Amino acid sequence: MVKSPETVALNELDKDQMKTFSDFLMSYNKLSEMCFTDCVRDFTSRDVKESEDKCSLNCMEKYLKMNQRVSQRFQEFQMIANENALAMAQKTGKL
Amino acid sequence: MAMPQISPADQAKLQLMQEMEIEMMSDLYNRMTNACHKKCIPPRYVESELGKGEMVCIDRCVAKYLDIHERIGKKLTAMSMQDEDLMKKMSS
Repeated sequence: MVKSPETVALNELDKDQMKTFSDFLMSYNKLSEMCFTDCVRDFTSRDVKESEDKCSLNCMEKYLKMNQRVSQRFQEFQMIANENALAMAQKTGKL
Repeated sequence: MAMPQISPADQAKLQLMQEMEIEMMSDLYNRMTNACHKKCIPPRYVESELGKGEMVCIDRCVAKYLDIHERIGKKLTAMSMQDEDLMKKMSS
């Protein structure tokens, strides 16, 4: 079977989407693990206590907010680094 | 800025390098997030909002992490360049 350019492009898109999806699943698992270890310590009863439930949900929300902030700062740093690299390139190009 | 003579093989190499760099960046990002979470957010989740101190800590943590990353990178390149020079001297 000959692949048309469209199918190739579609496969590329699929690959990207699959990657995003698998990243999401991975972070979901990681978040569960982290919040479980931080919030659930008492195994004298099987039921999830209200405090445990609240703690886990807070943990998740806080983590997402932290991620947002980290991403903002990271982008700022990358922008500055790009500008510096560009300035350097122009400088060395001129010299 | 277009370079006229880039062979397809070189182009493929370049693309692979770019992909590796993106992969490396996202790995760096994930590691940094983990490190700063561990260092800045105490595991007592009585609130879902970030505290003021936590925010300041995160900002500093990101800045410092990237700073250290750069410093180590510079040192590593310097060391590997030194190594290469030594190897050249040994072989010549």
